[in-house]
Amino acid sequence: MDKDDNQEKGETEDIRSCDPPSVDPNLSTETDNCSKAECQNNSGDQPSTDPEQAPTENGHEDSGEFVVTMLARGKLEEQGVGMMGSCPPLSITGTSEGAPTHRDEDVMAESWRQHRKHVFVLSEAGKPIYSRYGSEEALSSTMGVMMALVSFVQSSDNTIRSVYSDGHTVVFMQKGPLVLVSVSSSRQSEQQLRGELLYVYYQIVSMLTQASITRIFENKKNYDLRRLLAGSEKILDGLLNLVDSDPSFLLAAVHCLPLASSLRDSLSQILQKAITPNLVFSILIAKNQLLTIVQEKTVIEDARLEPADVHLLLNLIGASSAFQAGEIWTPICLPLFNPDCYFYAYISYLDPPECTVCLLLLSTDKEAFYAVAECKRRIEEAMLTQSSLSLIAKAHCYSVSQVGVSDLRHFMYKPFDIPDHHKQLTQFTSPEMEAPYSTEEERRRLLDLYRHMHGRIHSSSRPLKLIYHVAERETLLAWVTSKFELYTCFSPLVTKACAINAITKLLRWIKKEEDRLFIRYPPKYSTTPNPSKTHDKNE
Amino acid sequence: MASGMQEKLYNPSLLSFFVYNPSFGPREGEEEKKILFYHPSDVEKNEKIRNVGLCEAIVQFTRTFCPTKPAKSLHTQKNRQFFFEAEDSFWIVMVHWCSCSVFLKPVDRFWSPEHSKHVFCKYSLIDTVYGAVLRQCYSMYKLFNGTFVRAMETGGVELLMQKLEKFFYRYLQTLHLQSCDLLDVFGGIAFFPLDKMTYLKIQSFVNRVEESLSLIKYTTFLYNDQLIWSGLEQDDMRILYKYLTTSLFPRHSEPELAGRDSPLRPEVAGNLLHYGRFLTGPANIKDPEAKFRFPRIFVNTKDSYEELHLIVYKAMSAAVCFMISASMELTREFCEQLDSLVGPQLTLLASDICEQYNVNRRISGPEKEPQFKFIYFNHMNLAEKSTIHMRKTASVSLTSVHPDLMKILGDINCDFARVDEDEEIIVKAMTDYWVVGKKSDQRELYVILNQKNANLIEVNEEVKRLCATQFNNIFFLD
Repeated sequence: MDKDDNQEKGETEDIRSCDPPSVDPNLSTETDNCSKAECQNNSGDQPSTDPEQAPTENGHEDSGEFVVTMLARGKLEEQGVGMMGSCPPLSITGTSEGAPTHRDEDVMAESWRQHRKHVFVLSEAGKPIYSRYGSEEALSSTMGVMMALVSFVQSSDNTIRSVYSDGHTVVFMQKGPLVLVSVSSSRQSEQQLRGELLYVYYQIVSMLTQASITRIFENKKNYDLRRLLAGSEKILDGLLNLVDSDPSFLLAAVHCLPLASSLRDSLSQILQKAITPNLVFSILIAKNQLLTIVQEKTVIEDARLEPADVHLLLNLIGASSAFQAGEIWTPICLPLFNPDCYFYAYISYLDPPECTVCLLLLSTDKEAFYAVAECKRRIEEAMLTQSSLSLIAKAHCYSVSQVGVSDLRHFMYKPFDIPDHHKQLTQFTSPEMEAPYSTEEERRRLLDLYRHMHGRIHSSSRPLKLIYHVAERETLLAWVTSKFELYTCFSPLVTKACAINAITKLLRWIKKEEDRLFIRYPPKYSTTPNPSKTHDKNE
Repeated sequence: MASGMQEKLYNPSLLSFFVYNPSFGPREGEEEKKILFYHPSDVEKNEKIRNVGLCEAIVQFTRTFCPTKPAKSLHTQKNRQFFFEAEDSFWIVMVHWCSCSVFLKPVDRFWSPEHSKHVFCKYSLIDTVYGAVLRQCYSMYKLFNGTFVRAMETGGVELLMQKLEKFFYRYLQTLHLQSCDLLDVFGGIAFFPLDKMTYLKIQSFVNRVEESLSLIKYTTFLYNDQLIWSGLEQDDMRILYKYLTTSLFPRHSEPELAGRDSPLRPEVAGNLLHYGRFLTGPANIKDPEAKFRFPRIFVNTKDSYEELHLIVYKAMSAAVCFMISASMELTREFCEQLDSLVGPQLTLLASDICEQYNVNRRISGPEKEPQFKFIYFNHMNLAEKSTIHMRKTASVSLTSVHPDLMKILGDINCDFARVDEDEEIIVKAMTDYWVVGKKSDQRELYVILNQKNANLIEVNEEVKRLCATQFNNIFFLD
């Protein structure tokens, strides 16, 4: 790790003045005053520490297990690969990373045009930052055209929103100094495509923080943000793949692994006891689904953790195998929680080499690595005594046949009337996709159908309460009430009476199983913040 | 993004409308040559060039991703633009301003675009509807002026520009965008329901007239603004039908509706043999001095490209269109001949139809299921029927349901258009209205039910009842 230090310092010399984790003390005050206008959960009392210190200065003198990753510096991949040798590039999200080929794709070819969804990110100055397919360099003129369109419309005191053609929808979104464009043949609504672009934006923020992005471009309008994002294309690629294939993004909710409530309680208790000052969230994940989450009491009073933040976190971890190396301590921003400052995330897989169970501890204290690592050891010990890992390994997603309703092929259920709803993490439950949805293509098709119904039911101008759609290959029913949101898929020959019956049975079954399917009462703990790191509410 | 103020979607109004061809001014400095028509004309020249330039850029940009399917519409915060490539490289663009009224502020009573700078609402215009309206604008132009290309061949750019100016200046004033809806997407024709005997009588009438007056190329027969028989191709008939029912007939309907002794009653001038008269051409056949002209229409523009005189002759509620090649000169004598031949027969026929119609109505009992609000359309013969729309006048087509519900119908129609298979979509709106859409083969049926406490099964039963009475020969999915 040390060998990289000099390389880093040399490289970043020229951008040190506008780089978030620079050592320039003058910049430290700016983050305190940064605008939180975009931040939905204004956590003014968040004891945010000074993110200006380069995290690379943490614990370099430590053991070989300890890897410091600087996502924004793009050293992640190099370090990870350097440590592990030749590790398989398969992430736990299950999406295989053929990423290198995307960068080299010929942007003039028909195959490039035929991609289902292109996403482009560029700066206001028209400088390319990211393209999902093809290299940004090759696409710089296309991106230039996009920026020209944006500015042209802007010059008449207007904002461009979208362009529709028979095959594609193009959606433009500007967030601060970044312009994001989606070119999609997926026939999704503009609202949904915009939501996806927002996720891309927030993933970038999760690596750099919004305040830094704003400051960088204020200082230098044509700054090339790729310098800070080098190496993280696969994170954005991974995010976009997930968005296409995982319904959690559509529902804006977190998927929990169904677990006997006793097991979940015992895991929660283990996490609850292993605390240290400034620890804010303790999260246990298995097979990319949530096992349990314990939250700091006072923090949760003011702002709740949004599912989107959890999704971004999970993607970040899953997008790179480097995280599987021992313990990771990395700065990370939770954009919806607070887009302007970093948390410090301790990430460790508890079951190497399978790496399916991941422990995530978030602290506001940059220096707290050892204390947090100690928490992990306590958690590990406790889990060993209780044989938690083997119990977790047995837990898996359920089959729709367990509901005991014929004709029902699949469903997604998201409750609203959970205890303490406005403070709790929104969750949903859904069974495995089985025949006839056993291929990638069929799963994508079903998800597209759900997406379409979701778009119609949540339309901003003419929302609906219920949609019942009889089509050739399946019958779908989508239903939104004040208590829940439900999407169901039946065989195409089901009668309406059967469908209604099925839904009644399903709702009853979910009610019966809710302790197993959801985290109903996320536990809390109280960690007194370290006085020297606390910022006053009034600052 | 969502403002806390109460917003209501208000009338989308036409901001601009222009026709351009990018190949006419490819070089820098020549941009103005691309513009063939621009409304409003008082917009500054550079502004026009800018707007056209933006359209070109958008179309080019979308060609990057699919060269054969360029942009159809552009949405911005303040307006919506619709693009249509009417003929090769000839583009027609329609720009809507979407205005909003915010109920909380009294000053907005006199809402105008200038005052609205800070208030722009979420759109709820459906692209398919306005795309259809735009295409209809072109079809209507083409009906009366032929294609752009032909105009260019005949008289160059100048002639084309003249024609565009003359036509669109008037036509755009008749556009009532706020009343455009799903029926505009269909562009259908209402057919008049007839028994076999009466239908045969009409057929033989048409045959007799066509035989006697060999100049006649095509005939169409309408009763009560609904079509009975047409010799034209479908695409030509549908646009002619729109013209007749929304422009020509309403213009001439008021005098007819007037009472027997009213001064508005058309001059029958001693001709008590029949009630026939010309709606196009000589208004008063008896006056030898009066000049007259028949409108010219262009049909079959894709193959035989025919220019025809359009003679519309009406007796009571029956209207017949005779189309004769424009190369013939239609003299007063010819008109008199037609009048004396057609007038009495048509009058008789019209009263026959009326009688039959009343008889049928008495037999079938009270109006079939008037409480069902539905729209039916058959893609194969363009037959449409709506119990939601009241009589279409020149200015506006009134509907008896909330515009948002009509937009939901539009959404369902879009969903149906995505696949070829038969489908059924039932939705419950936030206002607890149920909307049921059924697609079977090439037919579409939309039903709106105001049954707030009904559940899915009850709604289904209701619609089944409707289908059994009105559409019992069509298999709809259950």
